[in-house]
Amino acid sequence: MSLMTMIVKMSEGLGKTCAIFFLTLLFSLPLGMIVALLRMSKVKIVSAITRFIITVLRGTPLMLQLLAVTYGPYYLFGTNVARNKLIPVVIAFSINYAAYFAEIYRGGIESIPVGQYEAAEVLGYTKLQTFMRIILPQVIKRIMPSVTNEVVTLVKDTSMAFTVSYQEMFTIGKQIANSQTSFMPFLVAGAFYYIFNVIVDYLMGRIEKRLDYYS
Amino acid sequence: MAEQKINTTESGSTASILSIRGLQKSFDSLSVLKDISLSVDRGNVISIIGPSGSGKSTLLRCATFLEHADGGDILYDGQYALKDGVYASKAELNRFRTRFGLVFQNFNLFPHYSVMRNISEAPILHGENREEVRERAMMLLKKMGLEGKENAYPCQLSGGQQQRVAIARALAINPEILFFDEPTSALDPELTGEVLKVIRQLAEDKMTMVVVTHEMPFARAVSNRVIFMDGGVIVEQGHPEEVFGNPTQERTRQFLRNYQQ
Repeated sequence: MSLMTMIVKMSEGLGKTCAIFFLTLLFSLPLGMIVALLRMSKVKIVSAITRFIITVLRGTPLMLQLLAVTYGPYYLFGTNVARNKLIPVVIAFSINYAAYFAEIYRGGIESIPVGQYEAAEVLGYTKLQTFMRIILPQVIKRIMPSVTNEVVTLVKDTSMAFTVSYQEMFTIGKQIANSQTSFMPFLVAGAFYYIFNVIVDYLMGRIEKRLDYYS
Repeated sequence: MAEQKINTTESGSTASILSIRGLQKSFDSLSVLKDISLSVDRGNVISIIGPSGSGKSTLLRCATFLEHADGGDILYDGQYALKDGVYASKAELNRFRTRFGLVFQNFNLFPHYSVMRNISEAPILHGENREEVRERAMMLLKKMGLEGKENAYPCQLSGGQQQRVAIARALAINPEILFFDEPTSALDPELTGEVLKVIRQLAEDKMTMVVVTHEMPFARAVSNRVIFMDGGVIVEQGHPEEVFGNPTQERTRQFLRNYQQ
């Protein structure tokens, strides 16, 4: 198989790679905020449970979580494995990344000086107005470097979908590598991920720059 | 309905903008305010002096609801915000908040907002007309000597300029009384003058103010009344010339002596 054929075949899986990537961000970024707020809840039992869930999600392999979400229902309830593997894959990725984002958000929220809340309170901002207008925009600026880190990692983590045989780019590459006994597909995959991340880096850098109008 | 409820609230029977009676506040077992009473009449400037830890800032923070008092009364314009240690409803407290402004020691400007938005957002959120608010903000900036700074961000301003923006922000909601919590303590010495100058100017305009300060000459020059606090109580109060010139309490004398050295 020529290199060109390999590239063409593997790029057919890029759509699915992108699907995992964008859908995971779409769900995990807001879900992370909900988890962060639960984690910071004044109700002790809520924050304790959330904290435990976060330690499990961060303390066990994503690959294991992928397998659990995809095949767990079959072993537990005898239900069929989802025909479209994208659904369990995105669920597993979103939950896992939400746990990481939650801790990033929490760090960001806790780094905002209490004086910002007090100034808003005295000026008559409601709690929601204070959070949405005063706190959140400052949090977003502060956490951008950490979020970029996670997003870059996510690009590479999409390759883990091969464990549940979801036909994304890396899974296809691995199949070609097996059938052709060639290492070339892995180099192609590496190049794809690298280019993907160069783009991600550029875009995240632009967002950071846009938030650079104050310090 | 709610408006009516406030009007029928039992009156505190004074003409004072702010009356505080028997205010108490403890942090755990530490009693920070012990039975503080004071009233502020319209157009008056009151300075609160005293050593650190005397409860001055806590008093301001209780008056502005940032700190939850344990007992006593707080009345604005004769209406109870706090009665016998029980606060008015959330909605009522929010209405009280439009009556006062607070200027913090470290400004607490919103760093991601321009000067204009820092000043104008609160009144706009309160439902005021955007254009009117902007006009008022421009007027306030002029008064603060900050013409042309409306599009600047706080990080582009000096400490003294930032504090003057904070004063404009507090004034923008048209408060009846303005509190200052050590407004110059976070400033380089050469910048305190410009901030004290605008406060003095506000005093000349008959703005009602309560100023917690360590600037003794300023307190002496600008206030109608000086309150000396120590250990959570008001030790002495009176006309600045009396308190500074001829204090009756040994504790006051000691404090002022230490200050002059």
